[in-house]
Amino acid sequence: MSVAMSLHQRRKRKNGVMMALCVIAAGIGLAWLALILGALVYKGLSGVSLSVFTEMTPPPGDAGGLLNAIYGSIVMTIIGIIVGTPIGVLAGTYMAEYGRFSRLTTVVRFINDILLSAPSIIVGLFVYELLVRPMGHFSAIAGAVALSILVIPVVVRTTEDMLNLVPNALREAGTAIGAPRWVVIRSVAYRAALSGIVTGILLAIARISGETAPLLFTALNNQFWSSNLNAPMASLPVTIFQFALSPYEEWQQLAWTGALIITLTVLGLSIFARSLTGRREDR
Amino acid sequence: MKPMLSTDLNVAETAVEKAKIEVKNLNFYYGQSKALKDINLSLPERSVTAFIGPSGCGKSTLLRVLNRIYELYPKQSAEGQVLLDGKNILDRSQDLNLLRTKIGMVFQKPTPFPMSIYENIAFGVRLYEKISKAEMDNRVEQALKRAALWNEVKDKLNASGLSLSGGQQQRLCIARTVAVKPEVILLDEPASALDPLSTAKIEELIDELQADYTIVIVTHNMQQAARVSRQTAFMYLGELVEFDRTEKIFTSPREKRTQDYITGRFG
Amino acid sequence: MTAVSEAVTPSAMRTREATVRRFALTDTIFRTATRLSAILVLVLLGGVAISLITGSWQALSKFGFSFLTTESWNPVTENFGALAPIYGTVVTSAIAILIAVPIGIGIAIFLTELCPRPLRRPIGIAVELLAGIPSIIYGIWGLFVFAPFLQTTVQPFIINVFHNVPGLSSLFAGPPYGIGLLTSSLILAIMVLPFITSITKDVFDTVPAVLKESAYGIGCTTWEVTRRVTIPYTRVGIMGGVMLGLGRALGETMAVTFVIGNAHRISASLFAPGTTISATIANEFTEADGELYTSSLVSLGLILFIITFIILAIARYMLLRIDSRTGA
Repeated sequence: MSVAMSLHQRRKRKNGVMMALCVIAAGIGLAWLALILGALVYKGLSGVSLSVFTEMTPPPGDAGGLLNAIYGSIVMTIIGIIVGTPIGVLAGTYMAEYGRFSRLTTVVRFINDILLSAPSIIVGLFVYELLVRPMGHFSAIAGAVALSILVIPVVVRTTEDMLNLVPNALREAGTAIGAPRWVVIRSVAYRAALSGIVTGILLAIARISGETAPLLFTALNNQFWSSNLNAPMASLPVTIFQFALSPYEEWQQLAWTGALIITLTVLGLSIFARSLTGRREDR
Repeated sequence: MKPMLSTDLNVAETAVEKAKIEVKNLNFYYGQSKALKDINLSLPERSVTAFIGPSGCGKSTLLRVLNRIYELYPKQSAEGQVLLDGKNILDRSQDLNLLRTKIGMVFQKPTPFPMSIYENIAFGVRLYEKISKAEMDNRVEQALKRAALWNEVKDKLNASGLSLSGGQQQRLCIARTVAVKPEVILLDEPASALDPLSTAKIEELIDELQADYTIVIVTHNMQQAARVSRQTAFMYLGELVEFDRTEKIFTSPREKRTQDYITGRFG
Repeated sequence: MTAVSEAVTPSAMRTREATVRRFALTDTIFRTATRLSAILVLVLLGGVAISLITGSWQALSKFGFSFLTTESWNPVTENFGALAPIYGTVVTSAIAILIAVPIGIGIAIFLTELCPRPLRRPIGIAVELLAGIPSIIYGIWGLFVFAPFLQTTVQPFIINVFHNVPGLSSLFAGPPYGIGLLTSSLILAIMVLPFITSITKDVFDTVPAVLKESAYGIGCTTWEVTRRVTIPYTRVGIMGGVMLGLGRALGETMAVTFVIGNAHRISASLFAPGTTISATIANEFTEADGELYTSSLVSLGLILFIITFIILAIARYMLLRIDSRTGA
């Protein structure tokens, strides 16, 4: 009896210890999030002022803003999305609709998943070899293309997943009424999967708006205002990188403020995207 | 009268009437496995034919051959002949979209499209016809009246089709099918997901529709088959066991297997 | 008879046939467009591989296999070797995984077994949001907050504790720079933690409830159920998640670039500055003059590409096996 009791107690104690460790692990995980966001808000907020959004990036040691960097980020993100989204949606459509049962789909899905987690700096090197070297100079277009290559796998994945959630009965119903496949896809499947596909696009925007590595040697950076797509263009992440590693206090402060802006944008987009799919599940 | 392949399953009465669809020596395969074995039957025009049998007997498969909806999936194939007004629809040259405008289908679960009630109906019409807004309004109204749904939805035509109850959704699907002016309507267990009241409405509707359409209904509910159909095909393990007038099937079937099934001994 | 039920007239039938022909054409166009887009995904990966190979050709043909075994990285004499960055990449990623895996699994256990239901979703979302924070944020935080903290408190303490212990004393040899291999490893651990957590949590959710209930039914404790039922059942999936995290860590650029110190040497001490493949490329690519220098950097990229491709392929293969079992 006492042997059994002690065994029982030992098991219980072990359980207690392990579970306590799990709670501690969760505590650590959440603490990091709090620490990083806390530091970001603390350091970033003190630099937030109107001039951040109205003035250009300053020369070393001067005060200024991030206007050209913000503008560049927005422009390249938009072009990246405009180029990447249609390709991603169409490829995802092939995988979930026309090619649902084909071998090509299995291969594309595997390769796409690898692209999804491939190091983004590799994409930067690829676009450098593809565009920058032949053109002979860095350009916003090259940066946007690099971003679009990051957009494609995200959109492919969500489009395929969301279209696969559309019940087959709905496709059969569309087909049974005499609609050709592309009309069924456009008017029935896309409509049913719309919020999911939009979520994917939002997540793609969130992903690329903070990407630095693929822009370093495609769009490079630009100290001044530039709307020329054929010339180097500033972006928020690259500016943060440059300013944070500099010895100048004004630049470091701007880097923190830029980091705060990016983080809030990305978190905002992610939360918004999640709320879209959340509603979907409730329906 | 067309020459008919006279099998012993064909009853005298159906042979006299004009056959809308004739199925001849039909075999169907899911990959390697044979799901339908040498089916022969003839569906008379403007009347209701029921396919009954235990699940997995091939009744739904047979229905899905009639508008070739099975072509959406790989590794499914049919051989033999299915004649619609004497023309083989299994022929490779048959355009599938055109075929499906002639042969409509309503499914087990209601499948309203993710759009408004009005658009659910206009969608199919608009595919093949360029008509004015007024004409379209009229078509939508007629179709909804035909499906006995007009009075319930006339004030909310712009509401989502998904906002309707299950029974209403199913009648919307029937309205949608009727609106494109098919000649044949295939119903795949149209009431199995509905409550008794909605089921009664659907059955009433089927009864009215047979004045204008050739109707084929698959059902696992024998009482329903007895109530709505004029002739009944009993299928078992991919074979057509017996095909006859409905009263005959339910009162004095020729085959022992039919007898066993309708008396509830299996299935 | 109503207007609806009247038959289609012959002229209307002809219109239908014309429409059908048009549909066939548009359908072909659309199908081709989707198919080409799907193929483009393959072309992209192929293009990445080809461009990296052509870009690295010059360096690889000059240095040959010794590129992988040479520590020296000298732009002045144009003598380049990848050993130091490869070493840094492997060491930082390995340490990061060693730290992140137990914590990640712990959080997953907490979320599936212990967490009060109302908190489960918010905490799960918080963990996933952590995964969405751009790596440059981790980098700037690591440089300005985390590294100084390590430099002034943790590192001196560890150096003091271990300075008489053989082996460990050289592993944790000073001076405490703050930045260096260990700092990078810790930042990487924080970065991959959410990936490992969310995948582990997802595969834990695939364990059939009956299986766990029957284990509880014979009197198992929560830990015993986790250790003897949940983890064995999901082992392949967890490994997939770990590999995915490893793939992330190996290729992570910005967070590491801030805190690695960018020194092309292999040091015994984890406190010493070093470099990784991606940090080297990020730091030097735009400033590299000379074809050979650039080509050597692209060669580093090719090595990184091959390593991560293999790791990610293994990860996906393992996760696929879990998916096919649950029929998801």
